[in-house]
Amino acid sequence: MESMSERSGGFSFDNVARNHVLEEKGMKMPKAAKTGTTIVGVVYKDGVVLGADTRATSETTVFEKYCEKIHYIAPNIYCCGAGTAADTEHTTAMIASKLELHRLDTGRQSRVTTCLTMLKRHLFQYQGHVSAALVLGGVDLHGPHLYTVYPHGSTDALPFVTMGSGSLAAMAVFESKYKDDMTLEEGKQIVYEAISAGIYNDMGSGGNVNLCVITKDKTEMLKGYAKENMRPWRKSTPYTFPKTEVLTSKIDKPRTDISVVVESEKMEVSAS
Amino acid sequence: MMDFGTPVLEPGSANGTKQVPQFNPYQDNGGTVASIAGDDYVIVAADTRFTLGYSIPTRKISRVLKINDKVMLGTAGMQADTCALHKVISTRMRMYEHDNNKRMTFNAVSQMLSTVLYYKRFFPYYTFNIVAGLDDKGEGWVCGYDAIGSFEQRKIVCNGAGTKLMQPVFDNQVDWAQSWDGAGKPNLSLEQATDLMKDAFTSAAEREITVGDTLQIYKITKDGIQLEEFELKKD
Amino acid sequence: MFLTRSEYDRGVNTFSPEGRLFQVEYAIEAIKEGSTAIGIRTSEGVVLAVEKRLTSPLLEPSSVEKIMIIDHHMGCANSGLSADARILIDHARVVTQHHTFTYNEPMTTDSCAQAVCDLALRFGEDGREEDAMSRPFGVALLIAGVDEKGPALYHTDPSGTYVRWEAKAIGAGSEGAQTALQDAYSKMMTLEEAETLALKTLKQVMEEKLNSTNVEIAAVTAKDRKFRIYSSEELNQCIERL
Repeated sequence: MESMSERSGGFSFDNVARNHVLEEKGMKMPKAAKTGTTIVGVVYKDGVVLGADTRATSETTVFEKYCEKIHYIAPNIYCCGAGTAADTEHTTAMIASKLELHRLDTGRQSRVTTCLTMLKRHLFQYQGHVSAALVLGGVDLHGPHLYTVYPHGSTDALPFVTMGSGSLAAMAVFESKYKDDMTLEEGKQIVYEAISAGIYNDMGSGGNVNLCVITKDKTEMLKGYAKENMRPWRKSTPYTFPKTEVLTSKIDKPRTDISVVVESEKMEVSAS
Repeated sequence: MMDFGTPVLEPGSANGTKQVPQFNPYQDNGGTVASIAGDDYVIVAADTRFTLGYSIPTRKISRVLKINDKVMLGTAGMQADTCALHKVISTRMRMYEHDNNKRMTFNAVSQMLSTVLYYKRFFPYYTFNIVAGLDDKGEGWVCGYDAIGSFEQRKIVCNGAGTKLMQPVFDNQVDWAQSWDGAGKPNLSLEQATDLMKDAFTSAAEREITVGDTLQIYKITKDGIQLEEFELKKD
Repeated sequence: MFLTRSEYDRGVNTFSPEGRLFQVEYAIEAIKEGSTAIGIRTSEGVVLAVEKRLTSPLLEPSSVEKIMIIDHHMGCANSGLSADARILIDHARVVTQHHTFTYNEPMTTDSCAQAVCDLALRFGEDGREEDAMSRPFGVALLIAGVDEKGPALYHTDPSGTYVRWEAKAIGAGSEGAQTALQDAYSKMMTLEEAETLALKTLKQVMEEKLNSTNVEIAAVTAKDRKFRIYSSEELNQCIERL
């Protein structure tokens, strides 16, 4: 009990030394699911548009076909995550809950830069071992903001950003088509095209296109903005399967001559 | 893109350790080949996606070699080795025809591929093959190989990237593998086998990122070979 | 033939002005000195019969091998220089084994005859010490085999030519024997009739009296596709039918 109370939060490193020894002796560590991923963001006239594909992979196997990679941070801030799925999910959730507490303390809307600082401090502390590559977007009293956060804790602020294994394909779209002060429709279209470029040209990315539009007054999640990669075909005739015949069966009835009696006793408390 | 591999530390050299870049001659270009054989037909299917890491350099590449009207060879693995192997097999097949004044039978092709692969036992072709064809009696058969020429003749074989997903389904649906007495085992028609093949590849494309783009299905019957192309997902 | 003999018969690579290769022709001539061998093809199989020249009563007859097996389904009889025959047959054995190893099927008779003739034709070629050939082989073969096209009989000679025959005689008595075969052969023959015809023809051309030690007979049948040299009991049964 004492050691529990002494813990001051953060990760448990109890098994690190043990696992290191085991790994040296040839034990294979379990593989984490990665979001192979294309994630992007763009600043347009009235706010930001974030976009993500929906594929999560483990090596070449698709873990999740339609997962959500645009994570909630605050009502006016969302964050796309690429890298190890658990890291992106937990990092964003942790920051989201800290900001919620901060808002309760201050009674003010969260600022994107606050979130950015918390994220980069956290990631830097773990020296890149927390594999989260993020696209952070939001609108606050200073206007629209768009950042990328790398796993080691460095950040960029840019009008259009891409992350993940499909980032090159997506960036190619932005580099050829981006212009300042786009309309909402133009913003959504360019993000859709960038994500699609990742979906079709990067095997780590796939599935649908999810969008998130954040403006001064409201945030809109557009899940399944494009659904071009649903299962295209299915065999019309039903499947039949081999059956193993039951040769004999025997059913034992539960015994009725035993009864369980619950005695209510006072809980033992050790006196110290 | 040439992969020169990660530098390997060589202990015991002049300074104790020396960095020696090692050339890796192999590359995985994905691909899945599968074949279902029936009483009087055999179908050979292969996807056309050519992969390199997470990239798709081309969506339309053929992995299947027509040996003659009755026998075909499907190859997954490394594309350069596939080309080299197909060239060797084509040449050997033509030489056989000239030397022996007859077509190569399914049986002869299957044994020849095995010897060609084993010839490179210590520097193998990075290829995973199937040979499908009709035997002397017109019955469909398929042989599945490992990279160095071990093979087995069966009614259903799948090789390459999607094998882990597809083979168990085929074993269940074609070989009726989970049945202890084979009761109710279906004798698939050409159409049923084609449908099963399409469904298997469609499903594999859902869960295996290296499978996709187009499925080529070659149907071998006594009347010759017919090609059907079927679109798979492109993501 | 040898009236025009000249300096052109020295090299195996030199044509005479008349367009002849004398060394090859001499080699073919050597066969005409050899013991007689007969092959007859029927729809049921192929029969090979040879005369064994036992030059001394002290000679052990079984050591004179005139008929040899090449593969399960193929064998041959020879006439001419037996030592040369051994080289050709060794080659045929290697080639048929290699074919089975590579293709998991028996080699066809035609392909085997061709492989033998490929070797027969390599005289005069440049080569390393051990496989250089200085002269043509002085032997002719009758190759009998069964494949998917049925029984077949081939004749090969030192020039590397191979031809398919229904019935063929080679060796010292070949001229007379060939005429006899031509008269008596019929496509409808049974294997047993072919055995009898082969021995009967041999008997006609042999100088010595035919018996179970101075002839040898073998056959390959379409039914079981096996080449077999007859035992002395089987041979005696054939001789009794004459």
